[in-house]
This record gives sequence, structure tokens and C-alpha cells, in this order.
Amino acid sequence: MKYDDAQRVSIGIPGLDKMLDGGLLPGRPYVVSGTTGSGKTILSVQFLQQGVKQGERALLVAIDEPPAEIRENVRAMGWDVGKIRILDVHPAAKAYSKRVSLVEVAAQRSVSALMEAGPDAKAEAMKKASPDISIQSLQLMLKQELQEVKYSRVVIDSLTSLKKLSEMMEDTDTSILSLLRFLSEASLTSLVVTDLPDPTQLEPEIFICRGEIRLHKRMVGGRTDRCVTIEKFRGSAHDTLPRPMRLTETGMIIDAGKKIPKASLRELQAFTQYAR
Amino acid sequence: MIKEKVKTGVPGLDEMLEGGLIPGRTYVVSGTSGTGKTTLALQFLLEGSKQGERVLYVSLDEPPNEVRRNMMSYGWDLSRIQVFDATADVMSYDKTPVRDVSTERKVVYFGDVKDEIRKTSEKSPMDMTVNTLQELVKQEMKVRRYSRIVIDSLSSLRHFYIRTSEENASTISFIRVLSDIGVTSLVTVQLPEISKPDVEAHMARGEIRLHKWINGRGLMRGVTIEKYRGSSHDHRLRLMKISSEGIVIKSLAVRQTKTEEDGADTKQEAAANAPETIAEPPPSNAGAPGPVPDSSKPPEGGGP
Repeated sequence: MKYDDAQRVSIGIPGLDKMLDGGLLPGRPYVVSGTTGSGKTILSVQFLQQGVKQGERALLVAIDEPPAEIRENVRAMGWDVGKIRILDVHPAAKAYSKRVSLVEVAAQRSVSALMEAGPDAKAEAMKKASPDISIQSLQLMLKQELQEVKYSRVVIDSLTSLKKLSEMMEDTDTSILSLLRFLSEASLTSLVVTDLPDPTQLEPEIFICRGEIRLHKRMVGGRTDRCVTIEKFRGSAHDTLPRPMRLTETGMIIDAGKKIPKASLRELQAFTQYAR
Repeated sequence: MIKEKVKTGVPGLDEMLEGGLIPGRTYVVSGTSGTGKTTLALQFLLEGSKQGERVLYVSLDEPPNEVRRNMMSYGWDLSRIQVFDATADVMSYDKTPVRDVSTERKVVYFGDVKDEIRKTSEKSPMDMTVNTLQELVKQEMKVRRYSRIVIDSLSSLRHFYIRTSEENASTISFIRVLSDIGVTSLVTVQLPEISKPDVEAHMARGEIRLHKWINGRGLMRGVTIEKYRGSSHDHRLRLMKISSEGIVIKSLAVRQTKTEEDGADTKQEAAANAPETIAEPPPSNAGAPGPVPDSSKPPEGGGP
């Protein structure tokens, strides 16, 4: 028995859904990895947008960029992202005053629709509190938020930053395990954004997650060459070839019917596990 | 000579292992993510359950409901495989965490696993550690004499259930317990893309490594026996495939069933050139069509 298309979670990028044999499997955590500027955030927002289109509730946990900037960036693509909800955990400027405990942090951050994102009084209040954000406090915040709103998709952008922010405070490996478990138990299909994994290290999120979509960007013959690979996808057939990808004014386009040029393939082979 | 070997149930792999694994020992199945470690491990258990043996799957990476769902596409009957859900609970970061280690978690049949993910109990999230797991395996072994055990994965155990300072000692101790109780076991190890050998590779009696790489034709998969104490074994990289029936080692499988689908297979045999030349003297063979390896000549003996 296989998952049929109705059960699959569409990413909203036709070529990518095709590579994934219809889409992601519901209720599981996935990783989107890539270097800076490879299109991870665009892919993530498209994934959330697709959920909203289907009448689902979608949540963006914004750590790398302040929500107002994300909104500006994606608006330039002509998307109406007003219905994506956003949890702003972008670290506020530190006030170097009294710290607030983790539990209190959970009570302070609140979710707003992406439409409403903007500098406001709340941000000012946050500055005073300047709580430290960590994986643990994020789990607590999400727990609170999920009690109020029933989401089906969530994006954490990015886990790499979140890890760096939490580094000093906790055992990040087990916290990540717990956070991803928490998302699964809440029946959320989640995308976790990370940097390209260090090939000599075993990053916990990469092996806990049920699949990894990797975005590649490198210079080949004097121009930027982009492609996408499915590194892992548990419980489903998937495309095993790298496919060319473009970032256009209307979002990410993946041509699942085409092979990447030979020169690009050689670049890819010279790198990471393909170098075997 | 060693008594009868334990069949892995993976077509082609038993031939590579000169008949199978030596009973009562611990073996490592390693590979980067998505190479088929879990599939291979379950195939090993399935083979045991087909022969009426008691087999146990200890799940540390993935919740059992997902594992069962994933394997459905192979049409396997996992219902007689026993499973212990050792996946971690959601951590409760409340100020007064209730750590009730005695929370009942039992070994059940895969057939009895619920479709939904097990929800963390609000009152008593369990603090699973290498010690509790080690005790559990020992106890289980006393009660039900298992003949095969899979730990999937040892990497999770190391990362999440052992304190960093004790990582190596605890891992060694865990493998030691498996050997002491005399069960034939497979432990899966996730490798980073560039890896160096770790304690588990030294401690285990053998290591089956799964590989994947990409060439002009697409994704290729292979398997090697890195180490096999007390037995001769195949030293070459063999092509493998994850088909709708599970893992099949191609080059050897082809040799045995060569009459089945001649046309299609000769093409795949030809494909066997590339990986072997790529794998042994690394890359740099772009364009050069490698020498014809033995594996593509098996029909020779058969004659016309």
C-alpha cells in the first residue's frame, strides 16, 4: 500500500512535488538544506503558501530575518502571503538589562499574520525584555501557540541560527530531537531550514528528519548554476537525479523532466558524497 | 568450521558473506543517509520471522508507526516482528519535570503498533538512556530468547541517549552486552559524508557498508563488506538496488537468475563498470569506459 496523492503534502512547486512522487508525507519533519542564497526561504514560503491556498493554517518561525523584511521580499514576487502566520523570534537588539526566564518568554512572543508584520510597540517591548531565544523556549512557544491555533504546516527558518543562539545554554542535540518529535506529535508537516551540512559531521537534524531536499548553487563556467537533489526520503519513491532549478520573479521553478548539464554534474560529483 | 551461518535474507548479500553471518555476533550496517540501512535491517529480521524465529527491532530513529508505514510499499508482513519503541519523548521544560523512569513501555508486535505516533505522556515523559535500554534488552532476552536483534540506529543512541563524556565507553559496553547475550545482531550506523572509523566499527565483528553515488545514468547504489571476522568474504563493491521487493544485490543476483530477464540485465551489468572504477581509484575516470569487470561476464561459463 502506498500513499496516494490525496494524502501527500504538496509543496506547491510542481517540479519538486514530482520529484517527491507527489509530495511530502504528512506529519513528518523534513530538512531543506543549501548554501546562502540557494533559495531555501523561497521554497519554504512557497510550501506555506500552498497550505494556505488549500485552506490550511501555516506558520513561519522567522529567526534569520525580521518578518517585515521577509514580507517585502516575497511581495516582490507578487505573492499574497497575508495569510501565512508568523512567529517572530528574530533576536531583538540586546538591552543588556535584566534577563527574563524561558517560561516568561513563551508568554511574550506572539504570532501575527504576515500581513501585519511591521515595526510596532511589541517590538519595542521585546527590546526591553530581550529574552534569549533557544530551542527549548521555541518548543514552549509553539506549544502555547498550538493550543490556540490548529496548524498543519510549519517552517523553522533557520535551525542553523537557532542552534547557534542556543549553543551555550543547552544540549542542542537532544533539544532538536525533542522539538522535531513535538512537531510530529502535533501532526504537523514541517520544513526545517539548515545550512549545507558539514560533510565530516553528523548533524542530528539531518539524520532525525525523514527526508532532505538539498539546494545547490555554484559557479559553473562563469555563471550561477542551480539544481536540487532529494538526498533522502523515507517511505517513498523519489527522483534520484539532480534537476535544474531556477529562481524567477514568480518563485522557484524546477524542471523535473530535464537532466542537469554535464559540467554541472561534474561540479556536483566533485563535492560531498557524490565524490565516491 | 563454524556452525551454520545466519541468512540475511537479502538476495546476493549472503553470497557476498559466504553464506551469511556467524551466529551470536554483532555486525554493523553503515552508510550515509538514505542508503537503505533500515530496509536492510528489516529484511534481516523478516528472514528470521519467516523461519519462525523470534526477532526484535529496537527503534531509536523513527517511530514504529512510520517504519511500518514506510515498509508497506514492499508488501512485507512485519506483523511477527517484535518492536520496542525507544524513540525519545518530547522533553518537558517545566520547572519541576516529572521523571518517572518506570513508565511502561513494552515490546509489542509490529502488527499491534498503532497508526498514530505515540504521544508523550503529559505526566511522565520517559528519560530513555543507554542504561535503561541496555537493561531492557538483557531482560527481554531472558524472557523471550530472540535469535535476531536490530538496533536502529546506534548513531541515535550515541547522540541522544549517552552523555558526551561517556560516549565511547557506553557504546562499547552496549555492543558488548549484545555479544554477551549471544544474539545475532545488526546495529545501524549513520555515516557523515566524509567519515573516519569509529569505535563501533572496531568493536563489531563485521561491517556491511552501503554506498550511493551519482553518475551520468543517475543514482547508483552499492554494498561492500568492510570487515568480517572469522570468515572469508567478497572484497568487491557490488551494485545493489532498492526494488519494490526490498534490497537486491544486483551483480550477484544477476549471476544466479541470469536466465530470467536477459535483455534488461545485460544493460545493468554494463552499468557495473562505472562504479567499480569510480569506487576504487576515486573519480577522474570521466569519459574513460572502464575495463569490463568480472561481474559482467558470468554468462561465459554457461556457454551458448
